[in-house]
Amino acid sequence: MTKNGEVMNVNMLTVQDLRKSFGQFEAVKGVSFSVEKGESFGLLGPNGAGKSTTINMITGLYPPTAGTIQVKDIDVIKNAKQAQKWIGVVPQEIALYQEMSARENLKFWGRMYNLSGKALEKSIDEVLEIIGLTDRSKDKVETFSGGMKRRVNIGAAILHRPDMLIMDEPTVGIDPQSRNHILETVKRLNSEGMTIIYTSHYMEEVEYLCERIGIIDHGELIASGTLKELRETIGDRSRINLTLDSNATDTGKITAALEGLFLEKDLQLQDYLLTAFHKEPQSVLSEIIQRVTKTGARVSSVDIVEPNLESIFLHLTGRSLRD
Amino acid sequence: MAFWWLAWKDLLMLVRDKKALLTLVAMPLLLISILGAAFGNMFAEEDAAPIKKFTLGVVNLDDGPLSTALIEEVFQKQLSKGIKIKQFNEEDLHKKIENRSLAVGLIIESDFSSTLLAGNETKVKLLTGPDPGIKDDIVEKVIEQFADSIPIEVMARQAAQPVQADSAGADTPSTQPAQAAPTTTDHPQEQSASQHLIKETTVNAKTKIVSSFQYYAAAMGVMFLLMTVVQGVSNMILEKEQEVYKRLLLSQLTYTNYLIGKMIGLVIICLLQAAIIIVGTKYIFGVDWGASAFGIAIMTAAFVINACGLGVLAGAFVKTEKAFSVAGMFGSQILAALGGSMAPLYIFPDWVVAMTKLLPNGLALQTYLKLMTGASLVNILPAVGGAVGLGVLFFAIGLIRLSIERRGKYA
Ligand SMILES: Nc1ncnc2c1ncn2[C@@H]1O[C@H](COP(=O)(O)OP(=O)(O)OP(=O)(O)O)[C@@H](O)[C@H]1O
Ligand SMILES: [Mg+2]
Repeated sequence: MTKNGEVMNVNMLTVQDLRKSFGQFEAVKGVSFSVEKGESFGLLGPNGAGKSTTINMITGLYPPTAGTIQVKDIDVIKNAKQAQKWIGVVPQEIALYQEMSARENLKFWGRMYNLSGKALEKSIDEVLEIIGLTDRSKDKVETFSGGMKRRVNIGAAILHRPDMLIMDEPTVGIDPQSRNHILETVKRLNSEGMTIIYTSHYMEEVEYLCERIGIIDHGELIASGTLKELRETIGDRSRINLTLDSNATDTGKITAALEGLFLEKDLQLQDYLLTAFHKEPQSVLSEIIQRVTKTGARVSSVDIVEPNLESIFLHLTGRSLRD
Repeated sequence: MAFWWLAWKDLLMLVRDKKALLTLVAMPLLLISILGAAFGNMFAEEDAAPIKKFTLGVVNLDDGPLSTALIEEVFQKQLSKGIKIKQFNEEDLHKKIENRSLAVGLIIESDFSSTLLAGNETKVKLLTGPDPGIKDDIVEKVIEQFADSIPIEVMARQAAQPVQADSAGADTPSTQPAQAAPTTTDHPQEQSASQHLIKETTVNAKTKIVSSFQYYAAAMGVMFLLMTVVQGVSNMILEKEQEVYKRLLLSQLTYTNYLIGKMIGLVIICLLQAAIIIVGTKYIFGVDWGASAFGIAIMTAAFVINACGLGVLAGAFVKTEKAFSVAGMFGSQILAALGGSMAPLYIFPDWVVAMTKLLPNGLALQTYLKLMTGASLVNILPAVGGAVGLGVLFFAIGLIRLSIERRGKYA
């Protein structure tokens, strides 16, 4: 790519110390990550974590308060229009003209990306095929179900064959069938070489789609890596959930009773819910129940969860991903 | 090119929106017909209505048969109930008008009969004091009708000639030099002595009269276009708060192209509405919009650019769609009232009428009236230039303001 024989920059996106404040409130507090060409990167975080704000800065919509964003070799802050040529954006909300048909919408948005004539028509036909709406293309968007609208919302973002597709919670509030269709579509686009950035608060989606994952909470990227790497942060341990009854008022007494079985940081007790991480949960389970019962509290349910993103998030933040 | 598609999209959405379409097309025609009918009746009764008798000072410099007929047959006999004629010499008439013992004076030039008989345009001079009311209008119309009623076939040949006087009496001679020249050079001392007290109007005997229906068709048309602009700009602000706007900003459409596209869409919508109003009133109600169709078209385009520019400027300073809708509704009504859409312009003092040319609708209405009374394209070019110039200026200021505002929010 470069004349001097330097190493070609394979990074599709590089974000460095990105910050955004709305008045006094800092929504994004110094986020850094990079995404390689052809990679699928997931941004996982609960409501209000700062996912959309981060995405909106990467796509050149919001000016960041501080930090840098590079798409390929282009500085997005200085030269947004150039970078936007390569980016397809699927906004969190439906951004379509409801009174126009699916085809008319695609035609309009294609034109906004300077497509025209035969190339535009060809692209529209392909996209309709991809989103599975060829036979409904003449119907107005306002007559569509939520899932169909979401599919058109995606279609409008891929007409110009972007190198990188940025999707902000594209499956919110839709039926499982449409959701599967969307996930398959994203998988297919990624396998065809399109770089994907996918935000969600559904860990299963991110687990299924993304090679690398960033976990964002309160505007900070608290962990990032492959699913395997993230699992290692909790020592690849399963999570034990015990629900206690109303006698379990003295949390100090209970945690003291469990001393020696877990490290302090691996144990949490909140609102009658005891959470602990362990490599071999079966081996300690009876011991836990015994010790807890001795304090006067009673165990009303037991649940063992294999290591997953939910556990990781819980481990890192002490909170559950979905409230 | 992308901005054309943006404009095209707006038109498509409008056509799909049955309610908006109805408001745009049917409402103006309906309202014009209702109001026109109401005012039309009033206007027709005006001649018969008892007006307070007033004295008209006359200087007759013409010895021909037509001036005598005008004075004796028309003013003294037919109109004896309303008008009393007193003959003066020129100097006395000027004094009377100056010291306000007379409100209106008429000077019939020496070639009145001969030119009229030869089928040419002829002119009389009308002197009015500071507050003539409608007296000068009446005298003016009488003379015009008198001239029109003389059946000389050669007059037909002259029909295409430019005519100058505004029957509404809205223009002072100084704004129309061509009209003032032939009469005032003969009497330079009158001009200077009477500058601020006496208004001189040259009545052209071939000037057409604007009927009330014509007036209201133009006035209401202008008002509807203003309202359409307000609606269009409201929609623009509304779209700014919607998701599609963000997607537009993320596409390859630049912000300037976005605004240009929006403006083009609005201008086209306004032009369509104007065409419907003009063609509709012409063919359904027989409103005469004057001989220069091109003049009407070009003035309409200029007005729409002017009004849309003002709309974009206003929109740039108002944050929310709700606030703009309210402000726009009041604003357009105030503009309409000041610009002559609610009450006839000729009840306002001259300086007010002159000032209203600064309003998009005021300028447009006055220009339409000029065209209706026979002005040619050349006569209205200054107004067209002014309207386009103001519109572009408004638009530019709005654009600067909008991009400053946008930079705060979007990149
Ligand atoms: N335009 C804005 N003005 C003020 N505060 C904002 C604005 N946009 C976002 N915020 C705040 O910034 C924080 C992050 O919001 P953001 O939309 O990025 O979260 P998110 O991770 O996308 O959440 P969700 O899953 O609900 O979409 C929230 O507290 C939100 O209230
Ligand atoms: Mg969001």
